[in-house]
Amino acid sequence: MDDYMSLIKGGHNFSVVSTSTRWISSHYMKADLIVNLDKRSYDNHIDHLSEGGLMVYNSDIKGDMDGIGISLTSEAKKFPNPNLMLGVGAIAILGATIGVNKTELNALIKNEYSKGVKENISYANIIYDIVYPIIGGKFQLEGGSKKRPNILGNQAIALGAIAGGLDCYYAYPMTPATSILHYLAAIADDFGLAVIHPENEIAVINMAIGSTFTGARTMVGSSGGGFSLLAEGISLGGIIESPVLIVLSMRPGPATGVPTYTEQGDLNFALNAGHGEFLRIVASPGTIEEAFFLTAQMLDLVWKFQTPGILLTEKHLSESSITVDINLNDTIWAEPLLHKDGEYKRYFDTEDGISPLLFPPAKEILKWNSYEHDEFGFTTEDPRWIKRMHNKRNKKFKSLENYLRKKKTINIFGDKGPIIITYGSTVMSVLEALKYGNIEARVVQPIFLSPLPIWELEKFKDQEVIVIEQSAIGQFANLLKENMNIQLKKVIKQYDGRPFDPIKLSKKIKDVA
Amino acid sequence: MVKLGTSVENTWCLGCGNFGILNAFKKAIIELEEKGISQNNILIASGIGCSAKIFDYLNLSGIYSLHGRDLATIEGIQFANPNLKTITFSGDGNAMGEGLTHLLFAAKRNADVTIIMHNNGVYALTTGQYTPITERGWKGPSTPKGSVEEPFNAISLVLEAGATFVARSYTAKIQHLTDMMVQAIEHKGFSFLEVLQPCVSYNNTYKLYNEIVEELDDIPKSIEEAKLYAKNKDKLFIGIFYRTEKPTFCELLYGDHNPVEKRQYRDERINKIKKILNIE
Repeated sequence: MDDYMSLIKGGHNFSVVSTSTRWISSHYMKADLIVNLDKRSYDNHIDHLSEGGLMVYNSDIKGDMDGIGISLTSEAKKFPNPNLMLGVGAIAILGATIGVNKTELNALIKNEYSKGVKENISYANIIYDIVYPIIGGKFQLEGGSKKRPNILGNQAIALGAIAGGLDCYYAYPMTPATSILHYLAAIADDFGLAVIHPENEIAVINMAIGSTFTGARTMVGSSGGGFSLLAEGISLGGIIESPVLIVLSMRPGPATGVPTYTEQGDLNFALNAGHGEFLRIVASPGTIEEAFFLTAQMLDLVWKFQTPGILLTEKHLSESSITVDINLNDTIWAEPLLHKDGEYKRYFDTEDGISPLLFPPAKEILKWNSYEHDEFGFTTEDPRWIKRMHNKRNKKFKSLENYLRKKKTINIFGDKGPIIITYGSTVMSVLEALKYGNIEARVVQPIFLSPLPIWELEKFKDQEVIVIEQSAIGQFANLLKENMNIQLKKVIKQYDGRPFDPIKLSKKIKDVA
Repeated sequence: MVKLGTSVENTWCLGCGNFGILNAFKKAIIELEEKGISQNNILIASGIGCSAKIFDYLNLSGIYSLHGRDLATIEGIQFANPNLKTITFSGDGNAMGEGLTHLLFAAKRNADVTIIMHNNGVYALTTGQYTPITERGWKGPSTPKGSVEEPFNAISLVLEAGATFVARSYTAKIQHLTDMMVQAIEHKGFSFLEVLQPCVSYNNTYKLYNEIVEELDDIPKSIEEAKLYAKNKDKLFIGIFYRTEKPTFCELLYGDHNPVEKRQYRDERINKIKKILNIE
């Protein structure tokens, strides 16, 4: 878990690494090893040290600090960019403590840094040699037998989209979605993608919709503020039936809010984005691994149902990384329904509301129209057509539900104990809290939020449930209440921008369960 | 050849300048077909307004987009499949008001698209408000005391932004207009064609234009000279103001790659992702 401020230099930034021989799904703020580069870090994290933990501080910094002092700054001053090197010193300290040898450490630095590799390796080795005699192997970790990739949430979303058939990605930079753009831009040529950063989010969504017209599997990404600008185009996607996929990675709002922190405050907005009545598909991954597969599945769904879809996630998932066990062959490949032969009508009124597609260049006329239209896509104000086209598009609500009833739309973890309903990255926090606290509970996670899989959730109706979410007003709890009879025992909320810590969360769950 | 007209009821006012644009465009498409550009490869978009209604009157494929967004829409078509010939129809309010950012950026990046800007100097479909290029003092329903803003000059702006083909024509000169359309569409890169279009209901400029419209003898020698001709208000010059050859956005971004025509299929992608993630 990376916690950083919205700035380029200075401030207080930190990364938390948690590891275990069992599968863990969240970082822990309580730490066995804390490395501080300055006094502010020391003061901020002194309470996070676990019993028997090690506090390593930068002994070149003035101030009253206890623990193991290492001259991180004065050693760095032997190199050209001393201020940029301290972080790698912290990596060396972590490496020495958990038993990473110098060869492995050097390979890691070489892999991670694009420049200054030699200097960083030299510096890391100096620090390693200083700390090793003191705390080397103090928290020795045994290597596992299987190599597994460690990926960032946004990397999972980007790769999942590519695996599902992505051709074009449009985005304007906005934290915490920006790293999808960066990652895709870096690998665009390898996969033959168009990755484009245009003038603003309004261009983003309209270009994306234009690209879908050609058959290109297209995705866009932003956070709340940019998503507000996308809303106009989402509505366009609704009426012209464009299969466009939008990643909304939430941060605390309203407005600029808190750019580099996490929240689940845009749920209602995602469910209702864009004026007018049309089907919006909204789904939210509970883990980084699920983010990979769900992105591909959402790409398929928007193409199958020709309507905008929103992959709803949070900073906590987007910008956290985790070791995953992933079978890429399970990925869904996005396939639309194609027109075969005979007269072509873009908006052919079929039984399920889905009109077969054709792409240019074609001898048939393909007209996508933002005005209400007839089956050919010509503008109409005829009351019969207005009603018929509403009905045609709205058939897709039922068609999608029928389709999803045969798919996995919900995760249930555990089979006994109190019922906890949660969604998105909060799932990771809840699962870890239960393990930490040895609490037996059933965790219910709707993967889909629109349509909300009531057919699955019905098992829990009329029962007492605990809802856990990162929203100040409890939007998710309200969504559940609106859609089913449940008795809300308690809504556990956190909305300070920080993800739940499993230790604190387990106490809160125990208090109500 | 397929019939270029449609059976949709035409709702432009009698005598509207848009008829000239529709007729010239049909002629241009026939000329382009003769030059080997198939109608199947021609994609159109339009914004919203009287100008945009042309979308329904042309039997060509494309997207009837949102107000001001048609350029972004047509760029999206072009970027995904750079082999398509992409043209958008936009009013002066649509292109220079709601859509100004998209216009300047499409010019800046030399997107290989053509915009035909119907300039009637007024928001006609919303009953006669001043547009970003209406002369100061326009008394419309939103500016009853007369508009107090100075107008933009469209050609000057797009030249500054980087357009590689800039021309102007007049709806009453069908052959000239047809010729300008053909050249704009054939041009590789961003083409901006301003069409002087009288609005018989709110801004009837036929008499004035017939008096002061004059064809340029030659293409001006520089952008600076082009701007002087473009800003002249005593005479309204028509013709090509500027033309240059530059690599297009897609050429610079991905060479001769075509994201939809040369897309990689599933297995190839999965294998590459396995390599990236270092998994078997």
